[in-house]
This record gives sequence, structure tokens and C-alpha cells, in this order.
Amino acid sequence: MLSILAATDLGRAPHVVLVCYLLILLGLGIVGFLRGKATEEDYYLAGRGQGLLVTSLTIMATFFSGVALLGFPGLVYEHGVSAMFLALNLPVAGAAVYLLGNGIRKLGKARNYVSPGDMIAGYYGGNTIRVVAAVLGILYVLPYIIIQIKAGGLLAQTLFGENMYNTGAVALSAVTLVYVLVGGMRSVAWTDVLQGLLLLSGAVLAGIAVIASMGGPGEFFAKVADLDPKQLTMHDPAESKWNPWWILTFCLFASLASIVQPAQWMRFYAARSSKILRRSAVIFAVVLPACFLFGVMLVGLGGRALHPPIDSSLPLTAVNLPEGLGKADQIAVFMLREELPVMLGGLGVVLVSIIMVAIMAASMSTADSNLHALGGVITRDVYDQCNPDASQKQRTWVGRIVIIVTTLLALLIVYLGENSEFGKGLLETIAQFFFLAMAFSCQLIPAAVDILYIRRGTRAGAIAGMITGGVVVLATLFLAGNDTIQTIKRIIDLGGFALAFNVIVFILVSLFTSKPDPEHIAAFKRDLS
Amino acid sequence: MSEKRSRKPAAIILTVIFLFALVMGAGPGSLLIAPPGSEPPLWFGMPALYLWAVLWFLVEAAVIMIAACTLWGKEKD
Repeated sequence: MLSILAATDLGRAPHVVLVCYLLILLGLGIVGFLRGKATEEDYYLAGRGQGLLVTSLTIMATFFSGVALLGFPGLVYEHGVSAMFLALNLPVAGAAVYLLGNGIRKLGKARNYVSPGDMIAGYYGGNTIRVVAAVLGILYVLPYIIIQIKAGGLLAQTLFGENMYNTGAVALSAVTLVYVLVGGMRSVAWTDVLQGLLLLSGAVLAGIAVIASMGGPGEFFAKVADLDPKQLTMHDPAESKWNPWWILTFCLFASLASIVQPAQWMRFYAARSSKILRRSAVIFAVVLPACFLFGVMLVGLGGRALHPPIDSSLPLTAVNLPEGLGKADQIAVFMLREELPVMLGGLGVVLVSIIMVAIMAASMSTADSNLHALGGVITRDVYDQCNPDASQKQRTWVGRIVIIVTTLLALLIVYLGENSEFGKGLLETIAQFFFLAMAFSCQLIPAAVDILYIRRGTRAGAIAGMITGGVVVLATLFLAGNDTIQTIKRIIDLGGFALAFNVIVFILVSLFTSKPDPEHIAAFKRDLS
Repeated sequence: MSEKRSRKPAAIILTVIFLFALVMGAGPGSLLIAPPGSEPPLWFGMPALYLWAVLWFLVEAAVIMIAACTLWGKEKD
């Protein structure tokens, strides 16, 4: 992914910036440990006392993986302005931070919930629904952890040499593991503050640098205006998914899916007050899309104008891209490497290094949040059900063991993926699940909305709906070659498509099965008021 | 309860504006500006489709800020 940087002569700057960054992360992990208490609530939710700076930035950093700084400009480079409309999913997600997150926070505080399964099983009752919610959450979390660790290995390979892939993946996982293990949510969230700031500043800086290097906004847009018309119009649904129908459903459903995934859900439990979540929602909805629309996404457009593919009518494979650009998602790094050091000399080198570390920060913040959430989900939704009398200390240690085992497993898969045919196939399968992760997470939305706002669903309805949605997502994976499935996936976001089945089944089954006790529903309503 | 009821019309209006902005921006509304196969228009020297995305982002952001200051701001902690 970042092999392009290997050719860059940036001297020692990336090494210095990277080492400083990792040391700060370790320092924050240790401070988080020293400030923490030895309770389950403290380890998983930082004592439910997180303030505005930490809450807003940890939600943003968890929302975006390395895709933010690499993938978005790559998509704009490949598909043009139509891909920029993806930024409009961020205000939807921002609204959901408050409209879903605040209810989740209130119930969590009133009833000592830690995982999403706690709330869903707490309302509907029974362990089956807890397990189904946990499985959907794990299907989101696991591929994300593995893919982010792989991204860390690739970055190390890029910075330190071809043979540093394994060492880099191990070293970066080890740093993440240490601060997640010792400090729990407090350390993860504090490191997310740094990583979130790097992500935002990296996104803005990248845009400013490219526009300035092309002669300012006037020159930049003059060059962009000369692009192939297809880059500046919406696409036809018959040809590509970059059409208004798919983009609209993506903005509606993928945003919500990312907000109800386990790591975000636990961040809502951890927020101190409604006011904190309200302000975090506004920051998320306003600042984040602005950084993308006025920042890093413009890098893709500028890249297309300055370094177009050899033949625009052909797919953007390595042979059809300009020399030095292996894949479309390398365009941001390619442009910055070309322009910044020339424009700003030594300062440009430092800025390129910071942006590269921002890319790694985006991956690490996603990996650490998901690792931590996985520990919470497995402890609360699996271990606690087998051993309900476990002490808080035991529960915290089970979470830590899950985090260690998962990191080692992820590293093994990443290692095998690089060194064996079996591992390569396994990693490819995981990558497919990575693309389905949001669609799985999306299936938690109907139950969450029912608990927070409607309260007419039943346990059987919620279970049937979630299982149906999950099966529909899996079916699209196995029927990926089918023409009908391909057409559907071009006009509707997969999560939204499966969600429609989920909701229909949820409503139908709820009509014919018994509702929770009215007293129980009233108690939830009181806790939410 | 009566306060909640009095906020309902404002909540409905803001929700409708937000959804309208989403449909006009990310959704089929964008076809009004630059449909597939058309000659892309420029506004102020910039691609009209880009400004269209920015415009509807600003509407969405404004709706959320108004909701946060008026409707959500009244939520008790």
C-alpha cells in the first residue's frame, strides 16, 4: 500500500517522528494506568467520566481507520467528484452520536452496562440475543483488527526496508497491546486524542499542501475543470456504484452501522453527560466532513489533474497508472512526496513524515479501540454468562487475556498472509469480511432504535431480524458472482439492503410473539427520560 | 411532557430539512446538476457538483447545530 514511499528520500525525519509518536503513546498508556482504578467499569469505560475533548476525538479516531487518509483521496482519484459525496455520511453519523449515543449512555449508566449485548439482552431478556449481538459485533471487530495490524506492517516496511514487514507489525502491535492492556479505555481514549488530532490535521494539511503546490485555489480548480467530464458528473447505476442511489443509501446506513459498532457503543457508555455527547455530535458532524471536503479529498482531484491514468477508459491497474503510482489509494502519498519537500524544503519533509504517522495513527486508533471492545464483548457476553460469580478482577483479566490472544492470532494471520499460500488465502477471506463489517454491524440498528424510541419489538422478533440480516449479508458474499446481486450492490448499500430484511422480519415476528413485561418497558422508559 | 410536545414541530421540520438535504446532496438531487453523460457545469470556476456537495453539507451541518442548540440543548443530564 505504501511501498511508494520506499523511493522517497526523506532522510531520518520519518524515523524520528515515528519514534517520538510511539513513545508518546506508551507514555499516555502508563499515565492512563497510574490514573486508573482496578475495577471493571474503569478498565472498560474509564469510570464513565470522559470529558468533551476525549469523547469527541476518540469517537472520531475510532470511526476512521487508515482508509480515511489513503482510501478517500484514492476513491476521488478513481471515480471523481461523485466519490466526494461520501463525506455527506458524516453529518448523519454525527446526528446519531447524540440521537442514539445519548440514550445508550443513559441506559448504560442506570444499569451498569458495558457491552452492546448488555443493553440488548437487558431489554429483551435471555442469552440467545446476547450471543447473536456479540457475534455481529465480533464480525465487525475482528477483521478490522487484523487489517489494521497488516497496515502497520506495511508502513514499517515502507519506512525501514522491505524485510521489516514482520518486525514492524510485531513492534506496532506490541506498543498498541501494552497501552491497551495496562490502561484500558482511559489509555485507549487518551491515545485516540493524539491520533484524532493527527488524523484531522493530516487531512487538512494534505489538502492545503496540494492546492498550494498547484498554484493556489484558482489554478487548482482551473486544472480540475479540464478533467474528463465523467470525473465531474454523477455515474450511471448501470455502470458503477458511484451513482446517487448507492451513495444515498451508503450515507444513511453505513454511517449508522459505524456508530453502533461495539467500540463506539462503549464510548457512549463512557461519556460523562448528555452535554458532552451533544457537543461531540456537533464537532463530529461539522469538523470532520469539513476536513475531508476542503482537505484530503481535494488531493484526489488534484492528483487526477496532475497525474492522470494512461487510458481513462481502462481500469486503474498498475500498468494503467502513471509511473511510480502502483494503486489509486497511493495518490495522496504520491502527491505529497512529490510536492511538499520541493515546496517547503526541510519543513516539507517533516510535514510528509507527520502525515505518514497520521496514516499509521488512523490505523492504530482503530485497532486499539476494536481490541479493547472485543475484550469487553467477550468478557461480558460470553465469560460472564458461563461464570456469573466472577469477581471484577477476574473479568478484567479475562478481557486482557482476550486482547493478548487476539493480538497474537492477528499477528500470526498477518505473518502467514505474507509468508504462505494458505495464509494469503486466509488473509484474502478476512479482507472480504472487512468489507462486510459495516453491513454486519448495521444489523444492530433495529434493536437499538426499538429499545431507545419505539419499544414495541419482542425478543423473538429482534433475534429473527438480526439473524436474517446477518444471513443476507453472508449470502451476498457467497453469491457475489450472481448478476442480480451485483446489480443490487450497485444501487443500494449492502448493509441497508440486509437491514430491510432485518426490519421486515423483526416487525412480522414481533406482531405474533409476546412483548416484554409492561413494567419492564416502563422502567426502561424512565431510565431514558 | 408538554415541553416535549412543544418541541415536536421543530423536531419534525429539522428532520425533514435534514433528509431533504441528504436526498438533494448525496441522493438523486445531484442529478439535477451533473447527470451521467452530461457536460459538467462550472460555478465560479469550480466544478458545480463539488459546490453542490459543499452546499448540502453546510445545510446538514446547520440543521445539526440548530438542533443541538435548541432541541438537544433542553435535554436534562
